[in-house]
Amino acid sequence: MVLAAVNRQAEAGGLVSGMRLADARALLPRLATAGSRPEEDRRGLERLALWCHRFTPSSAVDGADGLLLDITGCAHLFGGEATMAVEVEARLAGLGFEARAGLADTPAAAWALARFGDEGRRIAEPRLTLTVLAPLPIEALRLAPEDSRLLRRLGLATVGAAEALPRAALARRFGRHSGAVLHRLDCAFGRRTDPVASLPPPPACLARLAFPEPLIDLAALEAALARLLDNLSASLERRRLGVRDLVLLFFRVDGGTARRRVSAARATRDGVHLGGLFAGKIETVDPGFGIDVAVLHAVRTEPLASEQYRLAADGLEGRGGSGELVRLIDRLQARLGKESVFRLEPVASHLPERAERRTDPDGKGAIRPAQPGLPQRPLRPFDRPEPVDAVAEVPDGPPALFTWRRVRRRIVRAEGPERIEPEWWAGGPEARPRDYYRVEDRDGRRYWLFRAGLYRDAGGKEPPRWYIHGLYG
Amino acid sequence: MTSSCSSERVSAGPGVSAVSKDVGLAALRRHIAALERRSPGAASPVDVSRPWRTGIEALDGALPADRGPEPASAGLALNGVHEAAGASPADRPAALAFLAALLVRLGRHGPVAVCQGPGSVARLGRLYGPGWRDLGADPADLVIVETRHERDALWAMEESLRSGAAATVLGETEQLAFVASRRLALAAREGGTPLLLLRGDGLAPASAAFSRWRVAAWPGSASPFDEAAPGLPRWHLELTRCRGGRPVTCIVEWNRETGHFDMAAALADRPAASRTAVRRPALERAAG
Repeated sequence: MVLAAVNRQAEAGGLVSGMRLADARALLPRLATAGSRPEEDRRGLERLALWCHRFTPSSAVDGADGLLLDITGCAHLFGGEATMAVEVEARLAGLGFEARAGLADTPAAAWALARFGDEGRRIAEPRLTLTVLAPLPIEALRLAPEDSRLLRRLGLATVGAAEALPRAALARRFGRHSGAVLHRLDCAFGRRTDPVASLPPPPACLARLAFPEPLIDLAALEAALARLLDNLSASLERRRLGVRDLVLLFFRVDGGTARRRVSAARATRDGVHLGGLFAGKIETVDPGFGIDVAVLHAVRTEPLASEQYRLAADGLEGRGGSGELVRLIDRLQARLGKESVFRLEPVASHLPERAERRTDPDGKGAIRPAQPGLPQRPLRPFDRPEPVDAVAEVPDGPPALFTWRRVRRRIVRAEGPERIEPEWWAGGPEARPRDYYRVEDRDGRRYWLFRAGLYRDAGGKEPPRWYIHGLYG
Repeated sequence: MTSSCSSERVSAGPGVSAVSKDVGLAALRRHIAALERRSPGAASPVDVSRPWRTGIEALDGALPADRGPEPASAGLALNGVHEAAGASPADRPAALAFLAALLVRLGRHGPVAVCQGPGSVARLGRLYGPGWRDLGADPADLVIVETRHERDALWAMEESLRSGAAATVLGETEQLAFVASRRLALAAREGGTPLLLLRGDGLAPASAAFSRWRVAAWPGSASPFDEAAPGLPRWHLELTRCRGGRPVTCIVEWNRETGHFDMAAALADRPAASRTAVRRPALERAAG
């Protein structure tokens, strides 16, 4: 067993990570240890990456112990790069993490500065990357350990020394290692894009609010959302965009993040409508000790020409105008779930349970051809037919009497049979033809019954069975 | 409101002949009718002058007549809640079919929002396009909302009513408190959309509905083409409450081809009459 990580006190006692546990115990007999759980560390780091959305919309986990934040265009919100770096460090320290921020033009250079830069010299001004990086040890290039060792043995101890060598000479001297070394140098100095840094693309539009006093109550959160939506609508309007997917992030002072996502069926920038989609979702946000930053990301946007939205709400778009209906469907789906709202679409099948399927509620329902001559169908058939005990006067004739849900019903009128054969390509071998009857009992209630199978075909096999498949109004 | 109206009329009134006095009176009546139609606060985009009636004299006579200057414009409110319940649990499909028939009678084109909770779907099945078409309605209009909780179904109804996006809202509920029914009535008025509400708990609890119907299946006639086959659906309708109207009972047939209710001839039939005597106590029990 080896040490995976050590804290400051252990370090002072002479321990380093990678040391064997037995050796460590010999040095510090009262050493307290806990099992290493890399998966949980990873999850914690991912939570922290999400929490870092408070600084920038684009952040990701980098390696086993790093976070990568793309702060392009964000630093001015925090009063410049230096202040922002200090704030990031201070906020993380407030959560109990010891963090070092490095800031540079390229992800590789920032990585190097965060890990190897001296106190107060971890920010590389634009175009000064070489000056700042040159004195750093060669390990700052994030090379494989054997490559770093080889470079050191050859006297190239700093990044500056490696960069100063002519590329051809470097390639000649290091042979198969030179590829990796040159690649890392190019990444650090921005001559090549860094494939390690896989940041999610920033949203097209975003709105952000920071609160001097953390918010606790629901009314304040709702007010914050309304302001965010106003700001977002304005910037969407300027760029003639409408939003389809929207993510709302609330950052808690204790490091937690609440994330709520809504979708619109049609691109919109109507703040009132979008606010309605969040109805019922804000209530479940746990503010903890307070929420100090709220961010709204327009994750998916589409071009949207200028439109006079408010007029439509006054009924000028006409009753049932598709705009108003789409907004209603959005609200229903946002609260009830996407699959809860649907239209019905006919399917070419004679089997009643397959004659229809659910479809997207947007747009117009499908036109159904009139089918004259087809026997009437019930308004609400059962999901699965229920077996009944029926008595028929002749074996393959209509029933005269049946018992369903423990009530005996005497049939006075019957229409049928309507023979429906199973679909041989879909049904199993047990599928049997059905004879449907529309029957009426003495009280005038109407039922949809069928007999699965025929008596004359039975011949020793399973006898036909009666089922009820629906009720007529 | 009334005082300002009358003073205006009086100022125009003095010194006119008897004929123009009558004209003035008619104008005054129209004015008051218009005032009464106007709901406080909410402006309704719906044309409330178009009548919504069953087309049967006996029924329409019982519906409120004061919705316009002439008795011909009597009808159900287009921005109100209309409840129906089966006389017994087994009559619930009949109540639903009656509401669907009312919807066809309304003749308003546009989406129909159907809001159902989980209870009715499990016991009575899902709405089925072909069956909907066979009652004379267009299944392409249906936008179905199936919720996981009963209270969500009520919320969906309210939301659909308020938005005014649906031509009609058809709802089904297992249980409805008075406060909830009041909310729905307000939402219907605000959105100018009628709500057809199928109640699984009968009509016993108090409600803010405009009209309440108790529906029972009734033995129908034979199909004109086949002596042994069932003919048109026939219902025993009981209008138990209607704001501005009076209770009435009758037996009607629904003709899906023409989209009309017909008075069932069977009213005078001996078997039907004797059955009424037998079934009446059963109806009361079910309602209680």
